[in-house]
Amino acid sequence: MRKTFLLFIPIALFLSGCASDGEVVAQDLWVKSSEMSIKGGMSAVYGTLTNNSSQDVVLVRGATEIAGVVEVHEMAMIGGEMKMQEIDGGLTVPAGKSIVLEPGGNHLMLMMLTDDLEAGEEISVTFDFAGAEDITANGVVAKPAEGGDEEYHSGEMEMDN
Amino acid sequence: MVSRRGFLASGAAAAAAGAVGAVAGASAAGVAAEQNLETFAANREAQFFGPHQSGIELDIQAVTNMVALDLKDSVTKEDMLRWMRLLTDDISRLTRGEPVLADPAPELAIGAARFTAYVGFGPSLFAKLGLDSQLPEGFAELPAFSVDQLEDRYSGGDVLIHIAADDPVVLAHGTRGLVRDSMPFASVRWVQPGFAHSPGMIPAGLTHRNLMGQVDGTANPELGSEDFNSVVWIDEGPEWIRGGTLMVFRRIAMQLDTWDQLGTPSKEEVIGRKLSNGAPLTGTNESDVPDLGARHPNGLLVIPEFAHIRRAAPVESAERIFRRPFSYDNGMNERGSMDVGLLWTAYQRDISRQYLPIQRRLEKLDLLNKWTVPIGSAVFAIPGGVQGSELIAEPLFS
Ligand code: HEM
Ligand SMILES: [Cu+2]
Repeated sequence: MRKTFLLFIPIALFLSGCASDGEVVAQDLWVKSSEMSIKGGMSAVYGTLTNNSSQDVVLVRGATEIAGVVEVHEMAMIGGEMKMQEIDGGLTVPAGKSIVLEPGGNHLMLMMLTDDLEAGEEISVTFDFAGAEDITANGVVAKPAEGGDEEYHSGEMEMDN
Repeated sequence: MVSRRGFLASGAAAAAAGAVGAVAGASAAGVAAEQNLETFAANREAQFFGPHQSGIELDIQAVTNMVALDLKDSVTKEDMLRWMRLLTDDISRLTRGEPVLADPAPELAIGAARFTAYVGFGPSLFAKLGLDSQLPEGFAELPAFSVDQLEDRYSGGDVLIHIAADDPVVLAHGTRGLVRDSMPFASVRWVQPGFAHSPGMIPAGLTHRNLMGQVDGTANPELGSEDFNSVVWIDEGPEWIRGGTLMVFRRIAMQLDTWDQLGTPSKEEVIGRKLSNGAPLTGTNESDVPDLGARHPNGLLVIPEFAHIRRAAPVESAERIFRRPFSYDNGMNERGSMDVGLLWTAYQRDISRQYLPIQRRLEKLDLLNKWTVPIGSAVFAIPGGVQGSELIAEPLFS
């Protein structure tokens, strides 16, 4: 197996949780595995999106085989509490800039999971952009994580869409 | 007195102003060199990808955590692969001085600091997962030795993650990441922290000292040598263990209070080497080969019958091991007696032919036993290294 590792290099890049269409690059992607990420439950995808083009692009939607519903979320102060909600009109990645999707901040929300999402599992995730080609990342790994989204701990879906 | 920082700042300012010549003896190049010196430890990077896991064939780092874990009840081979996927990615990032994915404290990834971690498996793991056919040759729990006073809290374990770095904060941060990603699969059985010298204390390749004061590691096979390969790295048997090795871990307590009652000549006779520079009692330099036949004019052996290096020296040529012991310091009691010793580790191809005959000889006779007590013990099989997108131990759990 080791002798043939050169053959695997292109696949390695493909599988490493990053994807690119040349203009927009998604890096360091991961998906949260917690007590909420069970069949019918929810999770979120995080990472860094970099826009190498000279025009703003907007992340408007996403898709993955593991979730029935995928939305672009932000955290916002609603009635004195931090809650997450869908971002009106999507999330802009400014020309030449990177944005970070992270716990407690913007994220790609996965709801109505079609199966349990266990630590170390890999999924593929598609990012739908307005103003750029969609990109699909394979090998997005599920990391055990609890921090960031307070709603995950309450056991209640407090979503304001 | 000028503080070093103030001195550097003024040197840098002078350089920026285009001042020609030295300000207080510091040229711009000198300032840069000094700044490099201040962070040299942060910038040194070990290599993760390769034929072997990292952290064995490497000059010993400053600090270590040995973490042993026991599998959760329902864990399967498939789960093991998911665990190894997380650990492989984590270790490769931490080795580069980067945070792991999903790191809640990425700001703590302040430098590579020769971070390394490798994963190993105890015999109990093979039993739990029904992997007996994958056991490497000669790999089994150690027999009991008469010198042992083993405690459960320091012994055994299904899985070992042995982590080390040249900085304690880098070590703690890396340990946390690896343990966090292990919790879906296992629980922590024990953690044993240890240390050697800080970076900059001894030149690379030179032997470090243990807390008895001895130069420890002289007779080891040389890193990077063919000799090292033939003593340590396995090249046959099940695919997953090729490029790997078998490790014996012994937590050995040192009784420093009684040890320090000995004078220097007695201490030196116990080992058979000089305390000053580690030279054999029959030589002048550390690298001199001990002359086990040499006698004093009065007929007594120069390196006594009971001396540690005489007893530990190979009888059969195969009886050699690579030792990489960290010290531990677990505080002291109200009388000021320190709870110290070695996290003694030995790496080899075959425990039954390499470590075991040596330990059997030492068990029978080794004056050092008077001041040293094994209180923890475990063995781990350490899979080979990874390339590209391979996972640690992938062929074992696939
Ligand atoms: C606290 C416990 C121990 C201490 C303080 C200790 C210390 C030392 C020292 C100072 C040396 C001489 C320098 C060198 O070659 O490294 C040495 C050599 C050695 N020790 Fe130990 N040791 C301990 C336990 C053990 C154990 C448990 C074993 C194996 C079962 C062992 C095996 C060896 C071997 C193979 C050598 C090299 C002998 C040769 O010259 O060929 N040691 N040890
Ligand atoms: Cu959300």
